[in-house]
Amino acid sequence: MSNVKRTWNVNGEEKTLEFPPLRRLLDVIREDMRFTGCKEGCGEGECGACTVLLDGVPVTSCLVAAGQVPDGTQILTVEGLEKTEQGRVLQEAYVSAGASQCGFCIPGMLMASFALLSKNSRPTEEDILDAHGGNICRCTGYVKIIEAVRLAAQNWPRK
Amino acid sequence: MKKLEKSDCRFPSTLKEALELLANESTRGRLLAGGSDLMVQWAAGMEPPPRVISIKGLKELQGIKEDDGAVVIGAGVTHAHIRSSKPVQKHLPALAAAAATVGGPQIQALGTIGGNVANASPAGDLAPALLITGGEAVVASRTGERTIPLTKFFLAYRRIDLKPDEMIVRFVLPKRAAGEIEVFRKLGTRAAQAISKVMCAARFSVKAGSFETCAVALGSVGPTTVRLPKLEEWIIGKSASEETLAEVEKRASDEVSPIDDIRSTAEYRKWVSGRLVRFLLES
Ligand SMILES: Cc1cc2nc3c(=O)[nH]c(=O)nc-3n(C[C@H](O)[C@H](O)[C@H](O)COP(=O)(O)OP(=O)(O)OC[C@H]3O[C@@H](n4cnc5c(N)ncnc54)[C@H](O)[C@@H]3O)c2cc1C
Ligand code: FES
Ligand code: FES
Repeated sequence: MSNVKRTWNVNGEEKTLEFPPLRRLLDVIREDMRFTGCKEGCGEGECGACTVLLDGVPVTSCLVAAGQVPDGTQILTVEGLEKTEQGRVLQEAYVSAGASQCGFCIPGMLMASFALLSKNSRPTEEDILDAHGGNICRCTGYVKIIEAVRLAAQNWPRK
Repeated sequence: MKKLEKSDCRFPSTLKEALELLANESTRGRLLAGGSDLMVQWAAGMEPPPRVISIKGLKELQGIKEDDGAVVIGAGVTHAHIRSSKPVQKHLPALAAAAATVGGPQIQALGTIGGNVANASPAGDLAPALLITGGEAVVASRTGERTIPLTKFFLAYRRIDLKPDEMIVRFVLPKRAAGEIEVFRKLGTRAAQAISKVMCAARFSVKAGSFETCAVALGSVGPTTVRLPKLEEWIIGKSASEETLAEVEKRASDEVSPIDDIRSTAEYRKWVSGRLVRFLLES
C-alpha cells in the first residue's frame, strides 16, 4: 500500500519519515529510527514497556498506528530524557533508589514518571500509583520504583 | 504485524469526508479511532481488513459540551479527557469514575468513548455508567443523523445498532437531577488494566427516607450490559431500610443471568451482582 510521510520532532530533532500508514509507531521508533531504548514486551498494550510521550502524553507505542500521529507531534523516547535537566534528575533518582533490576520495564517506567512529574511535581502516593498503573515490572515489586519517583519529585527543578 | 502494513488507510480531514468514504462500498473501511481495541485484535492474529479509515482527531467528534439538561460528548473523546472533565465530574460522576478505571493512563489517552461503545464488549466499563443516564447515541451517515436510546443501542454480544455506512458521532447524556447520587464500582482482579468480573453503576435519589428515583446497570453479567428494570420499578417508594436493601440484593441477583468464563463463574457473578447493587444503593 502507498506509504505516508510524516514530519515529527523526535527527542528534539526534526525527522521526516515514510512508512505504511498502519505500521506500529513502536516499529517506526525502534527499526526505522533506531531508538531501541523503547522496548516491546507484550505487543498488546498490557505491559507499558513501549511507552513514549506524544506531546507530553504517555501512550503505548505498540497500539499506535504511526500514520495516526500527525505532523508536528513532539515524540519523546527514553533516549531524549537525558537531554533535559528534569530527565537527568529522574535518571539519578532511579539509580540512587536502586529502582532497576533487569531493566526491561525501566524505559517505559521512566516515561510514565516523566509524564507525571512534568504535569504534577508534587504527586501524592495515589497519583504515583495511578500514573504507573499501565506499566508492569516483573522484578522489583514496585517499591523502589515508587521511591525513585518520590525522590525525583523532591529534586524536581521548578521554575 | 507486517500483514497490517499491507492494509490501506485513509485519513479524512472532515467528518463529511469520512462519511463519504463510508457511504461508498468501494471506499468503505474499518473505522480506526484510538486503536486500543483494534490494534490488539490485529496483533493477536485477527486478519486485518483491506481498508481502514482513521477517524482519530476529527474535530467534529471532539469536545464535551453542556446544555441545560444534558452533557454532550463527542465519540472521539478519550477516557483521559472524560475523567478530567469538570462537567462530567459534576453531572455524570459515575462516567468519570468509569473512565478512570479503564486500563492505565496510556490506554486512557488512546481509547475513546465511541470505540468503547462500538466494541460493545459486555466487559466495557463505560456502558453501565452511560445506561443509567437514560441518554442517547447519535449516529451519522452521508444522508443524515439518527438518534437511538442507549438502552436499545446494545443489541447482542459485541453488536450495536449501527449500519455499515454509519458511525457514532456523539452521546447526549442527561445530567443527574438535584438530589440524585451516582456511583460506579468495578470488581476485577487488580486495579489497573484489568478486565472486569462485574461492574455496576447506579443513579438514584432518596427523599424523606424513601427511594424516589433509581436506575441500575450491570456489566459482565450477560451478553450485553443491562439495566435492571424490574428492580428499578419495585424499589420506588420503598423505605431506604435494611429490609429493603436485603430484598434489593436478592432481586438484583435474580434479575441477571451471567455465564461462566475464564475470569469468573456464573454463580459468583450472580451473588456478587446482588451484593454490589446493595452496596451502591447503601451509599
Ligand atoms: C491494556 C488494555 C486495557 C484495557 N482496559 C479496559 C478496561 O479496563 N475497560 C474497558 O472498558 N476497556 C478496556 N480496554 C479496551 C479499550 O481501551 C476500549 O474499549 C477503548 O475505549 C476503545 O476505543 P478506541 O478508540 O481505542 O477504539 P478502536 O480500537 O479504534 O475501535 C474499536 C471498535 O470501535 C469501532 N469504532 C471506533 N470509533 C467508532 C465510531 N465513532 N463509530 C462507530 N464505530 C467506531 C472500530 O471500528 C472498532 O470496531 C483496554 C484495552 C487495553 C489494550
Ligand atoms: S509492548 Fe506495548 S504495552 Fe507491552
Ligand atoms: S526491572 Fe525487570 S521488569 Fe522491571
